[in-house]
Amino acid sequence: MTTLAPPVATGRAATGGGGGAVKGATVTWMTLPALAIFAVFALLPLLGVLLLSFTTWTGLGAIQPSGLTSWRAVLSDPGLPHALWITFKIMIFTWVIQTPLSILLGVFMAGHQRYREFLAALFFIPLLLSSAAIAVAYKALLDPNFGLGPGLHLAFLTQDWLGNGTLAFWAVMFIVSWQYIPFHSLIYQGAVRQIPKSMYEAAMLDGAGRIRQFFSLTLPQLRYTIITSSTLMIVGALTFFDLIFVLTAGGPADATRNLALDMYIRGFQGNQMGLASAIATILVVIGLALALLLRRLGGSGSQLEGA
Amino acid sequence: MAATVSTDATRTQRPASPPGQRARHLRDMNWVGGLASWLWLAIVIIPIYWIVITSFKGQDTYFSGNPMAPPTSPTLDNYKLVIQSDFPRYFLNSVLVTIGAVIPALVVSFMAAYGIVRGAGNRLLQFINAIFLTGLAIPIQAVIIPVYLIIIKLGLYDTLLAIILPSIAFAIPLSVLVLSNFIRDVPKELFESMRVDGATEWRTLWSLAFPLTRPAMVTVAIYNGLAIWNGFLLPLILTQTPSNRLLPLALWSFQGQYSVNIPAVLAAVVLTTLPILILYVVGRRQLLSGLTAGFSK
Amino acid sequence: MDPKTTSRRSLLGVALGAPLAGAALAACGSSGPTQTGAGGGNAGGGGGGGGSGAATYWFLSGQPQQAVREDTVKRFNSANSGNQIASTEFQNDAYKTKIKTALGAGQGPTVIWGWGGGTLREYVKNNQVVDLTDWFSSNADQKSRRFPASFQAATVNGKIYALPAETVTPILFYWNKKVLDKIGVSAIPQDWNGIMQYVDKANSKGVAPFSLGGQSRWTNMMWLEFLLDRIGGSQVFQNVFDGKANAWSDPAVTDMLTKVQDLVKANGFIKGFSSITADSNADQAVFYTGKAGAVLHGAWIYGNLKTAGGDLVTGGHLEYSNFPKVSSSDKGDPSDTVGNPGQYYSINAKSPSNQQDIAKKFFGSTVLDDAEVQKWISTGSVPLIKGSDSKFPSGPDGDFLKFVYDVSSKAKSFAQSWDQALSPTQAETLLDNIAKLFQLSITPEQWIANMNKAIGS
Repeated sequence: MTTLAPPVATGRAATGGGGGAVKGATVTWMTLPALAIFAVFALLPLLGVLLLSFTTWTGLGAIQPSGLTSWRAVLSDPGLPHALWITFKIMIFTWVIQTPLSILLGVFMAGHQRYREFLAALFFIPLLLSSAAIAVAYKALLDPNFGLGPGLHLAFLTQDWLGNGTLAFWAVMFIVSWQYIPFHSLIYQGAVRQIPKSMYEAAMLDGAGRIRQFFSLTLPQLRYTIITSSTLMIVGALTFFDLIFVLTAGGPADATRNLALDMYIRGFQGNQMGLASAIATILVVIGLALALLLRRLGGSGSQLEGA
Repeated sequence: MAATVSTDATRTQRPASPPGQRARHLRDMNWVGGLASWLWLAIVIIPIYWIVITSFKGQDTYFSGNPMAPPTSPTLDNYKLVIQSDFPRYFLNSVLVTIGAVIPALVVSFMAAYGIVRGAGNRLLQFINAIFLTGLAIPIQAVIIPVYLIIIKLGLYDTLLAIILPSIAFAIPLSVLVLSNFIRDVPKELFESMRVDGATEWRTLWSLAFPLTRPAMVTVAIYNGLAIWNGFLLPLILTQTPSNRLLPLALWSFQGQYSVNIPAVLAAVVLTTLPILILYVVGRRQLLSGLTAGFSK
Repeated sequence: MDPKTTSRRSLLGVALGAPLAGAALAACGSSGPTQTGAGGGNAGGGGGGGGSGAATYWFLSGQPQQAVREDTVKRFNSANSGNQIASTEFQNDAYKTKIKTALGAGQGPTVIWGWGGGTLREYVKNNQVVDLTDWFSSNADQKSRRFPASFQAATVNGKIYALPAETVTPILFYWNKKVLDKIGVSAIPQDWNGIMQYVDKANSKGVAPFSLGGQSRWTNMMWLEFLLDRIGGSQVFQNVFDGKANAWSDPAVTDMLTKVQDLVKANGFIKGFSSITADSNADQAVFYTGKAGAVLHGAWIYGNLKTAGGDLVTGGHLEYSNFPKVSSSDKGDPSDTVGNPGQYYSINAKSPSNQQDIAKKFFGSTVLDDAEVQKWISTGSVPLIKGSDSKFPSGPDGDFLKFVYDVSSKAKSFAQSWDQALSPTQAETLLDNIAKLFQLSITPEQWIANMNKAIGS
């Protein structure tokens, strides 16, 4: 993905202001096709959702504008802070679990040994499965009576994985990691391969051991990759839906009910579309804020990147 | 695990540490790395193994035996059931939709990314970039109802196009993000030299940026392709007649009024994943070389 | 990025976009696009454009029920060459979403397959379905041949808005005699004390007393339904249904909730019940593999118990019973039952009138005719037609069908499942609270408070 060359080579100085106006006009139209499609099928619906949040609608019949009714209902419902908390936990732990593992795995796979290439091929497979498929499989595997634990006769695996609130949360985190680490490790693998060998050789000459090399050389080189991967990870974690829906439907009780699920259940099952739209709006606002924040954290690049 | 790009050649140049300690340290690292990777392999493979063997079990006997043991009397019934349930048509539709969405998404995103990077400093373009960023955080379940209404207004309901257009729209944010990051690293001098030669931005776009951005485009195409191939909500809401259905819906046609035919669902999963797996096995070399073909140093 | 610039521009964007979005949304309720469903269905005829064309019918997929429905449509079409019905089937959850979005945008089918109760009430409130009361007056035989109790879920504000169809599936207790013998239980419990004693006995012998697909939530609900009906009579829930304030504060409710939690605390249910779903038949598997001695479930599981349960049914080890009385101070009639009193077919009020006529003809001539009745019986279900018991086969299967038939037809009250009877919003709150109740994370008082707040929503 963003396999950034080491900052040395690109002369970033010569950019920006000079000729910006003329150049701007010429290249602006290049963004128009994407903008058009995006405006109609993403922005317009987004506005639609915002407007819907100011109505009361069961999904059938007429939409009734109702001002702040749905908003008041959402903000006074104790389910919202809970969903926010769950969503927040999911985002944090997603990053904490997946980033180190993805980096390590990516670094590992970047090596050119044969067996590593073979393993890398297999590691990729979870990516090919749809979230629904993964959820169906794990739901059966984690069954306390007919699943993996009983099948292998391992007591410690025979827990009430999806029926106990705490266990269910961690089971979800595990499965999500199972699903997405292959993707992020692929990104890191590509990025690590971009690091020129000469830098490592120089480090060796300076007497740096493997661990030193990893922390002082590899990681800094991966900085932009980490930012991009983390942005995707965290914003993606915000909107996890398919997997959790099929796996636990937000349960047990509401132990895994994040914002996206809360929104869907209230809207499509509870027939409260106005309320669900309010939650959706909150979701988008948080996501946008996060994406911008992470971009800020990207450091020197961002002022010039113009975002 | 340390970043070992090449393992052996470097070992000789190791001053300033007692050799025994260093050697032992090295050995430990390799063990840890190797062991961890085999452990991860087990974690990855076990569910997949389970999916495959269960797809050969009958729905009736599914609960009786050991879930982790291969079927005592394997059956192809589930696969037959899936294929008879219009599988080839769903497959074709999925292929059409995936290709029909990924390629346009790539093209328009590439153009937009180029515009954004080349016009950096231009307020309007910065704003457009921010708009695309918004899209990253839009959950599709949130906007599906308005999208549905728009599709109806456009007269596209129950067509494959109904799935393709919103899919392109939702693929744009990520694609623009990735591609713009990549283009940003093309050295300015190369653009300058094109300009000096009198090339228009359009020519520069295709003659210079396009070949250099290929690795990122491969990644983006794969990510979007997978998402669309496995996407469920859009086909569910926006199509209706069986002749317009996509593969993910096949997964769900085995849930009856009261129960789910799990082995059949898993057979559907296998059949849905198999084409991509084959593509992956065949195209893996290209994929990885694409990813690693960065700039020559 | 200059935040001020962006936000000004964003506001501008909203101002421009709002009228557009508003127009798009406003158009959905009024003259929607024409029906598109005719293409691709089973019948060849019918162009689908404009106002004429085949009537459309959506129903659930999944065998064996799907085959019966398709057969009925086929027979109607071959007898009515000018007026066809085009059917499309959907998976359960997909159907629930699809029918809602379709109706909400004026794109629904002519014949709407449903569960009656709260959802039907929503349709009626939004003028989505045709009033069939007059139709039943002119087709009185269609009314009289069906179980009277099946009309309750089809009636809203005194008028009938749906045709009761297909089968009755009450909830029953199923007992695994092999397990009962093993643990030394000779007779099935006859009251609540008996149930708690059975629980102790089973646990002491290392067997789970009851299987339960707790993750599905409506499975938990069945216990509450029966307990409340027995303890307080059917009026208690009727008050909730009628929207009476604080209807849940009836003392019978507290009694019922306490008993449920007692049962959970006494390990009355299989370990890990909160993660077992009913959809995958895992809860049935727990029962027929002998891990649990009994299960409270719908009449529809008999077929699966027979085919997947080894010799449970074929070897005569299955026993079934209605829910026993709770205690001698019960207010409810012990013959009462709960479950699905039928399926309900409605006619889309927004369909063109010729399609509505086709649908009405379909209702009057082919739905639940003798051929269809026979087909339902052969799938092991009881159609909601009086006298269908004369067609039951002999032998253990026929005995089961007869039992279901008697329970359904003789019940003083056949209450529809609460989550179907209530409005979807209330139902969701109910299921949510029931889940928490079984997790022991809320007290009966909190449950009652939460549910009272939800009344009428």
